[in-house]
Amino acid sequence: MTETKGDREPSFEDRLRVARTKQGLDKPAPTSASADMGGRSAMGIGLRVGVELVSAMIVGVGLGWFFDRWLHTTPFLLILGVLLGGGAGVANVWRLMGPKKPPA
Amino acid sequence: MRPLATLAVALLVSSPAFAEGMPQLDFKNPLTISQIVWLAIIFFTLYLLLARWALPQVAEVLEMRAATIGRDLDAARLAKAEADSAVVELTHATREAQASAQASIASAVDAAKAEAALRSAELNAKLDIQLNQAEQRIDIARAGAVGALRQVATDTAHVVIARLTGQPANDDAVNHEVGAVLTIRGQA
Amino acid sequence: MAAEHTIDALGQFRLFPALGPLGASVNFTQSNLMMLISSAAILWLLWAGMRPRAIVPGRLQALAEMAYSGISGMCTEQIGSEGKRFFPFIFTLFFFVLFGNLFGLLPFAFTYTSHIAITFALALMVIVIVTFVALRIHGLHFFSYFFPAGAPKLLAPLIIPVEIISYLSRPVSLSIRLFANMVAGHVMFEVFASFIVMLAGIGTLGVIAAIGPLALNVALMGFELLVAFLQAYVFAILTCIYLHDAVHLH
Repeated sequence: MTETKGDREPSFEDRLRVARTKQGLDKPAPTSASADMGGRSAMGIGLRVGVELVSAMIVGVGLGWFFDRWLHTTPFLLILGVLLGGGAGVANVWRLMGPKKPPA
Repeated sequence: MRPLATLAVALLVSSPAFAEGMPQLDFKNPLTISQIVWLAIIFFTLYLLLARWALPQVAEVLEMRAATIGRDLDAARLAKAEADSAVVELTHATREAQASAQASIASAVDAAKAEAALRSAELNAKLDIQLNQAEQRIDIARAGAVGALRQVATDTAHVVIARLTGQPANDDAVNHEVGAVLTIRGQA
Repeated sequence: MAAEHTIDALGQFRLFPALGPLGASVNFTQSNLMMLISSAAILWLLWAGMRPRAIVPGRLQALAEMAYSGISGMCTEQIGSEGKRFFPFIFTLFFFVLFGNLFGLLPFAFTYTSHIAITFALALMVIVIVTFVALRIHGLHFFSYFFPAGAPKLLAPLIIPVEIISYLSRPVSLSIRLFANMVAGHVMFEVFASFIVMLAGIGTLGVIAAIGPLALNVALMGFELLVAFLQAYVFAILTCIYLHDAVHLH
């Protein structure tokens, strides 16, 4: 950046202070950690919720199916897995959308 | 529309019926799995190269710049402080110089005044002397003139008396009268 | 419209051996070739960018430094002071995904992030590292993560499985998000492009009508560039958030 000398430049002191804070303790504006998907549109939020629900369900169903095969309990654990997967999906969405906990 | 498509893909990928059409879910294809092995190799190599070689270079340059800028800013602050103190000094010096100039002007004016007073006093004295001398000269002149007046008056009185009476005037009486008149007029 | 037969939106994701018979012999796919290209591009950016080692950076150096300080800022901001240790990993992850997304948008290129196997492998790696870090720092105390401190003991049989499933769903959601976004974009490209070809085949009127999907594809390309960045960013920042949880164990 080239500076133009002359009319109405900020005082040297201000500029020096700005430069110093920029070099030293540059605290960037806190950005929201929940940045996700395109924008804040209803579609975007729906997609976030959808992905969270679907992935929890996949894990629940997958675990239920796996343990069913292993323990020969078909189809009880699969049903349990669906329920727990749904619960976990809701928990995920709650964690994503719910009120933010104060940082411990 | 696009998030909907994304969600559709997300939902469809989890349904086994869709696995037929999607090459991504064709796990019978050995390439699907082998690409993960290559992924692991490439990713790990990339990580090593970045962590050991490329990123430290950037860090080094950034640190160097931070140090340089920090140094420059410190220097700037120091220079600024110096300049500030210099300005203070300058103002101080200016003020002092102004004061001393004021004082010297005042003293010069005083001296000039004293000088002028002295001069005028001298002149006065000289003038006084000259005045006195002039007065003395005037007095002498007047005394001379008055002396001459008496002579003229006496002579005139003699002539007038001689013409009027046909007899020479009595000297003593004329002198006395003339002297009296002159004394009355204050011109003796 | 009997177009279903001609639109092959998924064929673009098919894997082929690359690099001739040598590549075929070691099952080296075009997806892996794209990975190599991306990696080379990342390394080239840093190498070429930082070569001048200038105090006042040129354009390329500014780009390289921006990449560095951007990810570095993300690490320290999201993870905390411990974030520096994970910086090279996050950097590699972000740019591997970003360049995969971006180069995938080039014509004839292959998008390796559109393969669930790849994204899941990456997400699994993330979650394994996160878990490893958590165990390393907190030991067995890590398992308290699955039961919130204030919760009633009676609900433990319900909460613990739900929390475990929720934890395990992290790599799944991480990989599905990236994969689904990339696939959706490329499928839409393919569908619109097929429309262009089909409409142009109809005749003069069709050629004029084909401007519609063409314009859509142009707009979509701009959007896809945004998505490419955004998804790489989301992948990296979620990794950072998971690492934060692992380090601080709320």
